[in-house]
Amino acid sequence: MTTTPALALTGLSKHFGRPAVDGLHLTVARGEFYALLGPNGAGKTTTLRMVAGLLAPDAGRIEVLGIDLAADPAAAKRRIAYLPDDPMLYGKLKPTEYLEFVAGLWGIDAKAAEPRARELLAWLDLEKHAHELTEGFSRGMKQKLALAGALIHDPELLILDEPLTGLDAGAARQVKDLLLSHVAKGGTVILTTHILEVAERLAQRIGIIQHGRLIAQGTLDELRVATPGATLEETFLRLTGTA
Amino acid sequence: MNLRPGGTLWLLRHEMRMFWYTNVAAGKQGKRRSASWRVVGGGLAIWSALHVGVFALLRAVGPAGDLPARPFVVAVTAILLATFLFMLSSALKASVETLFDRGDMDLLLSSPLPSRSIFGVKLAGMAFGVAVLYLFFLAPFAHVGLLLGQFRWLAIYPVLFAMAVLAAALAMLLTLAMVRVLGARRTRVVAQVVGALAGALLFLLSQAGNFLAHEKGPAASAMVQVMAAAQSLEAGSPLLLPARAALGDGGAVAIIAALGLLAALLTVRLTHRFFVQGLQQAAGSERATTSVAPVRYRFDRSLASVVMVKEWKLVWRDPHLVSQVLLQLLYLLPLCLIVFKKDALQLWAVAGGLTMLCGSLSASLSWIILKAEDAPDLLQTAPANAATVRRAKLAAAVLPIVALVAIPLGWLLLRAPLAGAVTVTTVCGATLGAALVNLWTGKPASRGEFKNRGKREIAPRMLELANLLAWSALASLLPLALGGAPVDVALAGGLGAAAAIALGTLPLAWMLRYRVR
Repeated sequence: MTTTPALALTGLSKHFGRPAVDGLHLTVARGEFYALLGPNGAGKTTTLRMVAGLLAPDAGRIEVLGIDLAADPAAAKRRIAYLPDDPMLYGKLKPTEYLEFVAGLWGIDAKAAEPRARELLAWLDLEKHAHELTEGFSRGMKQKLALAGALIHDPELLILDEPLTGLDAGAARQVKDLLLSHVAKGGTVILTTHILEVAERLAQRIGIIQHGRLIAQGTLDELRVATPGATLEETFLRLTGTA
Repeated sequence: MNLRPGGTLWLLRHEMRMFWYTNVAAGKQGKRRSASWRVVGGGLAIWSALHVGVFALLRAVGPAGDLPARPFVVAVTAILLATFLFMLSSALKASVETLFDRGDMDLLLSSPLPSRSIFGVKLAGMAFGVAVLYLFFLAPFAHVGLLLGQFRWLAIYPVLFAMAVLAAALAMLLTLAMVRVLGARRTRVVAQVVGALAGALLFLLSQAGNFLAHEKGPAASAMVQVMAAAQSLEAGSPLLLPARAALGDGGAVAIIAALGLLAALLTVRLTHRFFVQGLQQAAGSERATTSVAPVRYRFDRSLASVVMVKEWKLVWRDPHLVSQVLLQLLYLLPLCLIVFKKDALQLWAVAGGLTMLCGSLSASLSWIILKAEDAPDLLQTAPANAATVRRAKLAAAVLPIVALVAIPLGWLLLRAPLAGAVTVTTVCGATLGAALVNLWTGKPASRGEFKNRGKREIAPRMLELANLLAWSALASLLPLALGGAPVDVALAGGLGAAAAIALGTLPLAWMLRYRVR
C-alpha cells in the first residue's frame, strides 16, 4: 500500500493585502476523514480553493496524491473533487444534464457514468426531480446535486467547504452517510465546517486554523489533552482564544 | 413630512435610497459602496450642457402667447404616444422584477406594514424609475423656462410623472392579470418578452408603411399616417389633451395630473390584495411538478459537444435573454424586407445588412456564452483542457449565426457570386471578430448583466462596435469596387480605413486581453 499522503501542503501562503494563509503545513493521509476548523476569516476557504486550483498560492507547495499541483494540474484535478459552500450549478439545466456536463468535463466513460449517476441521484433522493430545472431547487437539493456532481468521477480526494450549511436534518444525514461511505471505500474527505458536532462525530483527525496557520491538529482526544472532559466546542474556543 | 419608521413615507424614502444605491452607487463586490463619481460627474456635465442648449433654444423661440398650431400639437401627441409605449415597456419589466426577482419583498411582506403601503410604495418606485430617464432630457426645459419666465414648460414635470404613474399602474395591472390568467410561470416569460419587444414594436410600426407599401403607391410610414388621421381631430378632442398639457395648458395639466393620481390610487386601493396573491403565486412558480418519466442520459458526447449542448440549452431556456438577443433582428428586419422587395437588387445593402446582423448577434451571443459563465469555478476545477472548452464555447456562439444566415448567403451566392463571396467573407470576419473580442477581453460576468454590459466594459464594447462598423462598411463598399464602379479617392479611402479598422481590432483586443489573477 502506498504511503503517499492524499494531501501535503508545505509552507503554503496567500496574501490579499493581509495574509490569508501564512506558511501553512498540513498533511492528510489517504483514507482519512479530516475536518479543518477555524473562526471566520481564518483561511480555511482560501486553503481549499488553492488545493482545488482556483487560486494560485503566493508561496509553498501543494501535493495531491503525490502529484505536484503546480507541475501537473490536470492530473491532480482528475483525482479530486471540490464542493464549495455555494454550489456550482446551472439554473437552466436539469440534474441529469448537469451530471452529463460534469461527466464530460472529467472525461468519464459513458458506461461508468450512467450507473454512477443513477446511483447518486437515487441515493440523494433526487430522482423524482430529475426533470426539473435546478433553478427551482431548494438550497438542500442544490447542495445534494452539487455533491452528486462532485462524486460522479469517484474522486480519491473529496474537498468540501461547509457542505452541511442550510441542509435540513434529513438531507444532512444523507450527505454525512455518503461521505462516510466514501471514506469506508478508501477515499479521503477533507471538509470545513462551523458545526463542531459534525467534526466531532465524523472526523478522524481535526485541524484548527487561525490567522492562516495551523494552531492545533490531532484526534479529538489529542486535542482535549489540555482540557480533559471538555467538548470540542470548549477546546476549540480555548485554542482560538474566543472563549 | 411624517417619516416615522414603518410609515408609508419612510418606506418611500427607503425605496428611493435603494434606487440610488442600485443605479448610481452600486459598489463592487467586497468593496465599500460609494457613488460612482465618474458616472455622476459625467451625468451632471451632460445635464448642464443640455440646460445650455435648451437656454439657447428657448431664448431664440421666445415666449409664445397662445397654444401652438394644430400640426405641432399633433406631432407632440405622436411623441407622447411613443414615449408612453416606451414607458409601458420599462414598467412591464419593472413589474416582473418586483413580482419575481422579489429583492426585499419577502422582508417587507413578513413585516407588519400594511400590504397597501407596500404596494403603493413599490408602484411609486416603479413610476419614478420609469420617469427618471425622460426627466433627465426634458426637465432642462422646465428649469430654463422658469428662468426665462416661460412658465408653461413647468408642465413637463406633472405630465411626465402622470404618464409614468399611468404606465406603472397599467403594467402592474397587466402583469397581475396575466398571473391570474396564465399562471405565474408563464407570466414571467410572456411579460419579459412583451416588455423587451414593446419598444421594438413601435419602431416596426413606424416602418410598416415602408415595407408594406406597393412599389408605386405611397410609402408613408405608419406614424405619418397616424399623424394625418390626428389632424382631423377636433381642437378640444380628449386625444389631444396630453399634448395640450405638455405644452402648458393649465386645465389640461390639471386633468392629466388628476388622472394619473386617480389611476394610482384606484390601482393601489383595489388591487393590493391581488398584488400579495401574485407575489405568493410567483414565489411558488419555480417549482415544477414532479415527473415519473424515465430518466435518460447522454454520456456519450465528446467534451466539445457537451460544452456546446450545455451552452445552447442555457440560452434557449432563458426567454428573456433570447428576446433581448432577437430584438436586434427586429431592428434589421425592415432593412432586409425593403432590400428583398426591390427588383433591382441592392447588393451593397444586402451585404452590409447581413454583415451587421451577424456581427451584432455574434457580439451578444459570444458575450453570453464566453463571458457569462454561471459556474466558472466548476470549469476551473475540472481537468478538462481549457483550450478545448474555450473553442467549444466559441463554436457554440458562432454556429447558430452561421445556420441562421446560411440560406440568405446561399441565395446571394447564386444570384451574384462575386458579391456573395464578398459577403461570406465579411460575415465571417464580423462574426468571428466579435466573438474573439469577447473571448479575449473583459472580465467574467453574470447573465443578468447582459443588458448593461456596455456600461461595465467600455473598451471591449468600443472594439465590438469598431469591428461591426468596419466589416459592414467593407461589405457595402467592396461590391461597389469589384462591380465595376469607378473607384474614386473617397471609395478607396473608405475601403482602406474600413479594412485597417477591421483587421486592427483583433490585435488591439489581444493586447487588452483579460488575465485571471
